Amino acid sequence: MSAAQASGPPQTSASQESGPLRVLTDARYLAVRAIRESVRQPGVEITNVFIPLFFLAVSTGAIANFSERGFGVENYLAFQLPVAVLQAVAGSSAASGIAIVLDMERGYFDKLLLTPASRWSIIIGRVWADAVRAIFFASIMLIAALVAGSGMASGVPGAILILVIAGLFGGAYSGIGIFIAMRTGNAQAAQAGFLLFFPLLFMAPAFAPLAVFDDWLRIIATINPVTYIMEGMRGLVMEGYAWPVTEGGQIVFGEDGLPKTKPPPALHWAFVSLAGFSVFTLTIAALALRARTRAD
Amino acid sequence: MSSRPPTIADRLRDELIAAAPQHDRDASLAIQASGLVKHFGEIHAVNGIDLRVRPGQVFGFLGQNGSGKTTTVRMLTTLLRPTAGEATVAGFNVLVDDRQVRRAIGVALQEAGLDILQTGRELLRLQSRLYNVPRGEIEDRVSHLLDVVDLSEDADRRIGGYSGGMQRRLDLASALVHSPSIIFLDEPTTGLDPISRQNLWDYIVRLNREDGVTFFLTTQYLEEADQLCDEIAILDAGEIVQQGTPDGLKSTVSADVIYVQVDGDEEAQQLAVGALLPLPNIEDARWDFNEGIAIYTRSGHDTLPLVVRTLDDHELAFSNLRLARATLDDVFFKATGHRIEPGDQAGQSAQPAQGGPA
Repeated sequence: MSAAQASGPPQTSASQESGPLRVLTDARYLAVRAIRESVRQPGVEITNVFIPLFFLAVSTGAIANFSERGFGVENYLAFQLPVAVLQAVAGSSAASGIAIVLDMERGYFDKLLLTPASRWSIIIGRVWADAVRAIFFASIMLIAALVAGSGMASGVPGAILILVIAGLFGGAYSGIGIFIAMRTGNAQAAQAGFLLFFPLLFMAPAFAPLAVFDDWLRIIATINPVTYIMEGMRGLVMEGYAWPVTEGGQIVFGEDGLPKTKPPPALHWAFVSLAGFSVFTLTIAALALRARTRAD
Repeated sequence: MSSRPPTIADRLRDELIAAAPQHDRDASLAIQASGLVKHFGEIHAVNGIDLRVRPGQVFGFLGQNGSGKTTTVRMLTTLLRPTAGEATVAGFNVLVDDRQVRRAIGVALQEAGLDILQTGRELLRLQSRLYNVPRGEIEDRVSHLLDVVDLSEDADRRIGGYSGGMQRRLDLASALVHSPSIIFLDEPTTGLDPISRQNLWDYIVRLNREDGVTFFLTTQYLEEADQLCDEIAILDAGEIVQQGTPDGLKSTVSADVIYVQVDGDEEAQQLAVGALLPLPNIEDARWDFNEGIAIYTRSGHDTLPLVVRTLDDHELAFSNLRLARATLDDVFFKATGHRIEPGDQAGQSAQPAQGGPA
């Protein structure tokens, strides 16, 4: 075949050339590419499994024997499981920033910008890929903790909800990596995206309940979104999903004769916090992308 | 065509187009720019460039590193916003209709922008999807492009394992997935071995001649510009200092050039130049640290004895006397006052002297 056959008149589907559907379609293609990137670099992802499992093991080993006497937590492994999940998710999502910087350094980011695909699809594709990766890493943490005997008070539906929360948190946290990558274009700075998670983690009830915190730390923890996301997961692991609805100390029964139930309050707050955190991180990521692509 | 009411963007575009000078709205031109300027703080990378590239042309931007070639390409391809001036590509304003511009063009930047974790086939497939190539045509088009750039056998290997030449060819293929009418190539052969360079030249010529694709090509290789381009603009310090066809440019300097190395310091060189300039048939004489004195003349054979006699008369010792036909290098030297640096031509040193593509 000749080159001529390769380049007839442009043939693209005009009906799908713009609009939100097109953005989402392009984002899906880019998400698949980002996931493939992870699959092909398993070595890079090992730390996202090893480090959280290591902390889960050593913190449980160090504190479990004391936790019930110290602050009334009988099953410390279950108490720590959400911490391991969030740590794994933050680690994997922050890596997106590094991947974007590498794309910039290799010129592939420009290649993407040169296509007619919407700039937003670049962010959305990364966020989706990170949500999927987050679910994968959260699954590993869940399985490991269950095998080690953490238990799951809310059963399979609760485990699925934890994965949903992990996915949403992963998508939201990738906004931080994207923001740093877009603002700095520097791999070392992008790597710091994960380090930013540690203040959020340590200023949340990660290792002990909020009740035993000093006042100043409790105040900070109450405005930390990670607190609510963590407590939401913790409620599912330790307390169960379905709580009976009570009025005046009496269980309320429904028309079917069964007790009316409701999710633990912490779960509501987990989703509210996730929504707020997502809006914040994805907004700064979008603004940073716009600033970079309009750079003068 | 849809009959939707005009949006704010539509009205803004119409106003901008209406406000543009009439000569900037020639829809028959593939690329046009008027007073294009780009400043990065104190650095004035591009200082008011005007361009008019016709469809089907291979237009070359010849200049040294840092002359503003890449900055111009990045503005024309919507990657960079001009500080001032206007440009249209394929009839679309690069600021207002940037997505339309990107849909019409293919671009291979100086560094092959590839994802080394994908295979060649996966990369072209993704590019095709992002360019909205109909789903049913993607596999055929990808396979064909891989064939065109001789990468079919390596299509399912990861790009990280490709040689520099293979990556460059794949990069070019990725710029072709949507059959663009205009292709920008930013120093496409820098760092390529002679065979890969020749092959790439062949692809460019084939696409241009058989399909009428317009090329906007930047290069620091004189031979490349000479072989490929229908028209060349010489860029220096962000400004076009000379423009024309390769032959036309060469005709602006004399037909022949006599090179001679005069012994001695700069004062001796100036003395020699001063003595040579008044001779009949000599149009210009310039001293360059690397090349010695270049004497431009309409008739080298007649002038050569005069040069020898004049230098002898002034008791100036000399060596390396040679006669050559004027080249683009001479045009470049005359236009910019300096030659393409030897380092800039490093890649060219491996280039066989014989001509480029047929």
